[in-house]
Amino acid sequence: MATSLFQSIFHPSEIVALIQYKFLKSSPIHVIPPEQKAKIRCYEFLNKTSRSFAAVIQELDDEIRDAVCIFYLVLRGLDTIEDDMSIPIEKKEPLLRDFHKTIYKKGWTFDENGPDEKDRQLLVEFDVVIEEFLGLRKKFQNVIADIADKMGNGMADYAKDAAYNKYGVMTNKDFDLYCHYVAGLVGIGLSSLFSTSGLEKPELAKETELSNLMGLFLQKTNIIRDYLEDLLVNRRFWPKEIWTKYVDDLADFRKPGYEKKAVDCLSTMILNALQHAPECLTYMNKIQNKSIFSFCAIPQVMAIATLALLFKNYNVYHSVVKIRKGETVKLILKCTNIYEVANIFRYYSKVIIQKNDSKDPNFMKISVACGKIEQWCQTNLPDIDSYSSSQQDNNDIVIFLIGFILSAFAAYLLYYVNQEHLDYKGRETLDVFD
Amino acid sequence: MVENYLIIGGDGFVGRWVVEMLIKRGETSITVFDIVQRYFDKEIKHYQGDLSNYDDISDCIEKENITAIIHTASPPHDGKSEGLFWEVNVEGTKNVIEACVKFGVKKLVYTSSSSVVYDGYSELINTDETAPYPEKHMNVYNETKAAGEKLVLEANGRNGLLTCALRPCGIFGPNDRQAIPGFIKVMEQGQTKFQIGNNENFVDWTYVENCAYAHILAVDKLSVENQTAGEAYFITNGTPVPFWDLCRLIWAQFNHYPPYILKFPSSFGFVIASLAELASYITGKEPGFTRFRVRFATTNRYFNINKARNRLGYEPLVDLEEGVKRACQPVLNSLNNN
Repeated sequence: MATSLFQSIFHPSEIVALIQYKFLKSSPIHVIPPEQKAKIRCYEFLNKTSRSFAAVIQELDDEIRDAVCIFYLVLRGLDTIEDDMSIPIEKKEPLLRDFHKTIYKKGWTFDENGPDEKDRQLLVEFDVVIEEFLGLRKKFQNVIADIADKMGNGMADYAKDAAYNKYGVMTNKDFDLYCHYVAGLVGIGLSSLFSTSGLEKPELAKETELSNLMGLFLQKTNIIRDYLEDLLVNRRFWPKEIWTKYVDDLADFRKPGYEKKAVDCLSTMILNALQHAPECLTYMNKIQNKSIFSFCAIPQVMAIATLALLFKNYNVYHSVVKIRKGETVKLILKCTNIYEVANIFRYYSKVIIQKNDSKDPNFMKISVACGKIEQWCQTNLPDIDSYSSSQQDNNDIVIFLIGFILSAFAAYLLYYVNQEHLDYKGRETLDVFD
Repeated sequence: MVENYLIIGGDGFVGRWVVEMLIKRGETSITVFDIVQRYFDKEIKHYQGDLSNYDDISDCIEKENITAIIHTASPPHDGKSEGLFWEVNVEGTKNVIEACVKFGVKKLVYTSSSSVVYDGYSELINTDETAPYPEKHMNVYNETKAAGEKLVLEANGRNGLLTCALRPCGIFGPNDRQAIPGFIKVMEQGQTKFQIGNNENFVDWTYVENCAYAHILAVDKLSVENQTAGEAYFITNGTPVPFWDLCRLIWAQFNHYPPYILKFPSSFGFVIASLAELASYITGKEPGFTRFRVRFATTNRYFNINKARNRLGYEPLVDLEEGVKRACQPVLNSLNNN
């Protein structure tokens, strides 16, 4: 908390948000009766395995919360198998391909993950997830199993793909397909769960392309941000089709002398993600339930804020660049309706416009992508400019100045009091020497 | 269906592109009417005449048994003579309509302008065809274009004539005499580092080939059944961009990148422009920097072109970036040759 407050010192409205978030959090975490041990364990796993999703999942309405939690844990289980390089492919492939059947096997557990696999405990106790899965409505089970089937087979195909294992993602088309398997399918599954719960219209489940793009926008942003983390464990998700225009090896961007190329390539990657923004807004504009809206919108606004932060930012190649905690919290608190979210998208698209410059190879394409966000807002929310935020946007400079004057005054008071004290003490000291 | 096409203003900037597109797709009956002749193609008939003279245009329509007209003629909008605007844009258009009705022409597509809805100071934010004409037009050019457009749309249905009006915004292209030269002038005067406003205002542009293509679509699609007739359509490249970004893209074609950018708030721009206008009023010289130019650079001016997309099937053929490249190429060539 202290570091977060300190990072936001020049953004006092974030300090207000941080304090609001810390002390005024409205809805309490839902209490699960103590006899439902498996469910309690599942939510413990949720909190352990996911940094970002645990909080938003737990804010969901009762009709949908458990289903999304189990969906998340099933996919996390799948991911833990795929991720583990210590499992030989002959063993891994059937595990992945059959995972959608495994989740119906009461009592199934798995303890053959390597000791370093961070979520290995989830699979060691996977029987509790299966128990809760089988307790869900049949229709929820079908959606979860269907996505686990598609994702498991997709992952197995990648695990066997020699070219992918050697070089990473090749073309832009491959990039979209890879992101579809690991994130787009999650979006498609979630839309089905929302419709099944009755909280959203049945038509939402049919918006598979928009749901897919919701996932792609998040996944691509993560892949751009995690360049360094992934490279250090030799995983290459940036499509070769993009970076090969600038360097012979993806790792070259880190070398001195490649700064310009690195930043140019970065904007190509960011443009690739940014183009999905209008479709993501279209999807969110269809959501009716408040808790589902926040659940969908929070990761999306984080993504656009992250893209704006990464644009033209060479640090991506040498450290992990992340948005400030204060900024995150401020965004979370704002994600209440489509007008707020659209305005956040507009805000960050203008941040990108201000950083853009005509020497960038994607200069005009990025301009056009930002224009599309603006035009989406004006077309779909024609009264957006007369919408006034429920949460007053604090004027950072004014608060900063007031804070500065107050603290200067306080410092002076302290100094004044201490001075008196010092003088007195000083005299005493002098007296001794006399 | 085979049409006998007449392109009025076919030697002009947009008109010439329309003519070339028609030639390219193998049309066999193309006639051009213009006040001057700049192009001499074997396959087209050329009539030289004055649009404000009824006999000139009616003769041409009657003799060539014209069935479809694309009327692109207009004096350039930075022209000085107000009388000429009324003569060509209003009286000339009236003559065209009367001749169409008399000789049973079936289709008339009129090149209007997006500025017919512009009052000179309001922002145009995602404006569509439901926007009314302003009570007071910004200048005579806009006023006469609007008057011509109204005449054309009102004539829809007279003696079987089908009409529509296209409203392009910010037409530019190779050898244009209005858009690109203005940007180049700023570059030559070394003023590219000055930015008025915050560059967060979006502006639409139209590459000339897209504009011509919309005319072809309109003349092909015009019918009562598909609700295309009697209507106006905004035509743009469909990709609004921040104002200064397009300027900088054009300068970048000449390998010119502002070394740094000095940003002035638009209020400051207005003060300077007012002083400049005052100075020019006293000295009697043409002001180089005006309040209109400040507004031009700092306000939103873009359109929703979904009506053209849905009813005419319009989708730009050439994107903005490619359009700018093509538009600057002739200038680059002439620079290299000198």
